[in-house]
Amino acid sequence: MILPLSLIAQEGDSRFSINGFGTLGLTRSSSDDAAFVRDLTQPKGSRGQWSGKVDSLLGVQGNWQLNDRFALTAQALSRYHGDGDFSPELAWAFARFDPTSFASLRLGRLGTDFYLYADSRQVGYTYLPVRPSADFFGVLPFTHIDGGDLQLSLPLGDAIVTGRLHAGLLDEKLPLADRLWDISGSRMFGGSVSLQRGAWTVRLSSSEIRFKGDLPIDELSSGLRQAAAFFPQAAQAARAIELDGTRSRFNSLGVVYEDGPWLAQLMFSRVRHTTRAFQNWHSGYLLAGYRLGDVMPFAGYSWIRSTARRLSPGIPDGVAPQFDALNAGLATVLRDGHADQGTISLGARWDFAENLDLKFQLDLIRGSATSIFPFREETADWNGRTRVISVVLDFIF
Amino acid sequence: MPRRLILLLLLLLSLPAKGEPSLVVVVRQDSHIGSLNRSQVIGYFLGGARHAGECEALDQLADADVFYEKLTGRTRAQIKAYWARLLFTGRTRPPRTLDGRQQLLDELLNDPQTIGYLRAERLDRRLRVVFELPP
Repeated sequence: MILPLSLIAQEGDSRFSINGFGTLGLTRSSSDDAAFVRDLTQPKGSRGQWSGKVDSLLGVQGNWQLNDRFALTAQALSRYHGDGDFSPELAWAFARFDPTSFASLRLGRLGTDFYLYADSRQVGYTYLPVRPSADFFGVLPFTHIDGGDLQLSLPLGDAIVTGRLHAGLLDEKLPLADRLWDISGSRMFGGSVSLQRGAWTVRLSSSEIRFKGDLPIDELSSGLRQAAAFFPQAAQAARAIELDGTRSRFNSLGVVYEDGPWLAQLMFSRVRHTTRAFQNWHSGYLLAGYRLGDVMPFAGYSWIRSTARRLSPGIPDGVAPQFDALNAGLATVLRDGHADQGTISLGARWDFAENLDLKFQLDLIRGSATSIFPFREETADWNGRTRVISVVLDFIF
Repeated sequence: MPRRLILLLLLLLSLPAKGEPSLVVVVRQDSHIGSLNRSQVIGYFLGGARHAGECEALDQLADADVFYEKLTGRTRAQIKAYWARLLFTGRTRPPRTLDGRQQLLDELLNDPQTIGYLRAERLDRRLRVVFELPP
């Protein structure tokens, strides 16, 4: 007997099902001087060569609907991330309770819900371009929280108003230069309000992260504290780049229009950090597509711009090599968080068969040479410009 | 072009295409669901009203493509992408899909809490039309 991949066993009201999604992708960024990554969870990317790692991934989800009110869901995800492999992670694992048809409470591990569509950004089949805008979503490496969320959804005339609140702990190790930054124990909480009416969806979101632990730059911080014996200002610099206990706030507005063959999305975000190790940024994108039969060509523009921080340790150059190293180290940390670029994207999605799509996309990234935050492995020759070509096959089952 | 010819062309264009039967949304005669408008139908098949606990919308493969195209202007693939987003973010599941019209008919007659769509010619005295999609 052959069992279908998606099997549904029915027994009274309870239903168990297994479903999955995935992407097979080939991505090539033309520049040799910086590695293009899908998001900052990836330690390496495409640097002048074709890469199958940037966009390829596989997810499998089990869903057990116990009755009208209770459900259990778990999702495993394998993608290139962390210290450079496809090791599977538990992306979602929660119990859902729907006390009424318009309220839903979930406890467990949940995908982060920073912006509209942020929680479905791994499922290529659900969106139009090859990947969620790297300028907009790529700089958010936090993928899940261990906590809970509450959703309330109410009709208001012709419209549906939905409110969501979420809170939980982050638990991930993110690549930073050649190290891993452990963010476990950092707290995230936030919420959103969205209004859906006819072809329109508008959503306002705000989330805050309160960090636990510091960036993996101990030797710089302790070096600055020691140097404070000679240059008191260095102690302030050491405090300014501390992360432990600081907050970052992510605000965003998303507008989606979807009617017949038309699809348009406009999103803005503004991000503020209290630590001076990161730069405040604003970002956004505009994407529009028009469907012709099974093919939907699209065009978009996205951007991210951050504000450089000024922070002087008050150590004059040339006093001693170890002091010069501190100055250079601090300058590197401050430089690393800078983004100043825009991307023009052109492409098409072709729904050529049931549960499958094929996408082609060209991204023209135009930025300043100092725009290195969204990239990995930059060289001194990086000029802020690259051309990314991607071909992907998305599937669901 | 003579005006009469243009009128004739317009008339031809406005006639329903042959072989495109109208689809009707139906429930069992004794269902508590009354007449619906388009946005209510969308609510049952694509929105929150579906899992209201009191009513289950059912898909059937034979007419799904035409039904969703006419109801929303979107292709079946776009509808599937919509459900995939909700499914893989742990929100809700797409309607149960039945293989064909006969299976749907059996299910509708079996359970007054279900709502489905059929070609108008498949109508049956035991069913009641709550919404009609013009051809």
